[in-house]
Amino acid sequence: MDTPKRVLVACGTGIATSTVVAKAIEESLKERGLNVMISQCKISEVRSLAGNADLIITTTPAPKDLGVPVIQTIAFLTGIGKEEVIEEIVKALES
Amino acid sequence: MEVFLTTLKAVIDSLGATVVLPIIIFFVGLVLGAKPGKAFRAGITIGIAFIGINLVIGLMWGSLSDVAQAMVTNWNITRDIVDVGWPAAAAIAFGSDVGLWVIPIAILVNLVLLVFKVTKTLNIDIWNYWHFAFLGGMVYMVTNNLTYGLVAAGIASALALFLADWTAKAVQSFYNLPGISIPHLTTAPGVPFAIITNWILDRIPGVKDWNVDSDTIQKRFGVFGEPIVLGLVIGLALGALGYYNAESAAVKILQTGINLAAVMLLLPRMVQILMEGLIPISEAARDFMKKRASDREIYIGLDSAILIGNPAAISSSLLLVPIAILLSIILPGNRVILFADLAVIPFVVALFAPLMKGNIFRMIVAGTLELAVGFYIATAMSPLFTAAALNAGFAMPEGASNITSIADGFIWPQVLFTKLAEMFGIVGIVATAGILAVVWFLFSKNTKAWEVAAGAPAEKK
Repeated sequence: MDTPKRVLVACGTGIATSTVVAKAIEESLKERGLNVMISQCKISEVRSLAGNADLIITTTPAPKDLGVPVIQTIAFLTGIGKEEVIEEIVKALES
Repeated sequence: MEVFLTTLKAVIDSLGATVVLPIIIFFVGLVLGAKPGKAFRAGITIGIAFIGINLVIGLMWGSLSDVAQAMVTNWNITRDIVDVGWPAAAAIAFGSDVGLWVIPIAILVNLVLLVFKVTKTLNIDIWNYWHFAFLGGMVYMVTNNLTYGLVAAGIASALALFLADWTAKAVQSFYNLPGISIPHLTTAPGVPFAIITNWILDRIPGVKDWNVDSDTIQKRFGVFGEPIVLGLVIGLALGALGYYNAESAAVKILQTGINLAAVMLLLPRMVQILMEGLIPISEAARDFMKKRASDREIYIGLDSAILIGNPAAISSSLLLVPIAILLSIILPGNRVILFADLAVIPFVVALFAPLMKGNIFRMIVAGTLELAVGFYIATAMSPLFTAAALNAGFAMPEGASNITSIADGFIWPQVLFTKLAEMFGIVGIVATAGILAVVWFLFSKNTKAWEVAAGAPAEKK
């Protein structure tokens, strides 16, 4: 894993819930020694930015035809089922 | 209470929000059980965010005020109330005297209402407590009494819980979000508009079957969802209207364009810092509240940002952007010039979707209705909004325009809160609480019917 994987986090504003998710992912992936580059955007921008990402994580429904794996989750907001989602993210990044 | 608060206020005023808010956030964090190191960094980060937001607002204000004044001279159209956007509104709300106390107040109100089984919602969306501070701040501005403002903020937090409870079943089934509700005061107050629109459209033959295709809209109008392009285009258009006859017109027009594009990117970035600072606090608050909430069925209250990706919400708000701009021009008596909050329109329509089964045409009609009313609310309320910004220590250039924002300057609860408080003082505030209590009582007596009215499926339990 030489070049860091690029993760795009999207939500309704690109500010509120996506920041919570981005920070949580950053922390837990660092703990696992995974080096990623995280950026945030509004869901309405996701289509034009998808080409620059290896994985997209959203807190809100996203289009299915972006050509990039998409994980939709609110686990980081509620605190319920966080670990499972992190596993899923790690798996998606390693494949 | 009032003496204590007044003394405290004097100290706070001399230090300013950029100093006081970090200190308060630090202590709130400690009380809620965050680690001291984390709480400390959270506090500083929030202070920094405020300084950043202030800088960007200065840029926006300067550009928009100048061009608005030039437009008045050129065209004799008075659009002198500048839409500074919800990021600014949130910063103003948190930075106001009410904002300093809103987190503990809203947590307390939520826990009390949960314990007495009035509400089912546990509102862990601490970030959006700014809406309560906003309403409280408005009441403070109109009554000049901080205690009233704080009480109003508490009532506002209860209002959000009520709206969340009312719409919970609709949200859960339509958006497939089990156990979630949306105590968000930009989104939830739109429900009555959707109910009225549905009622009317259902009675018009032909029209009642109209719909619009989501994909077509997203392809054709996608650009309205990209803030920097939108900022540039609006900047150029306003610049052209304001400066076409000025000296070195091209330079001024181009500069207005790039300045406003910059604001569209920078303002959210600054607010992102604010959000980052709030994370440790909101996580501590979440755990604190969860520990104290009873273990019966509760809804977790989240930001309506999680609803916005719905295709119907995106599509209808893309079309509502040009409609809103058109409304701002043609509505007689409107003085609001729309800008930063054109990006927030999805929040206005998100809760229409369950009620209208994702029918984009209907969502646009209801959105147009809510925005049209909103222009008049915002025009009338902008002096209070501006006073609240000054109270929060935001620097305004001499002779600058008044300000507003779609969230929550366009939203009706502020009219209820401030008008009653203005006319009747404390009696008005009690009356606001009383109205809410009565509505809540009716809801609790006939929950099922109310939920269906808000868009919950009728047959399922």
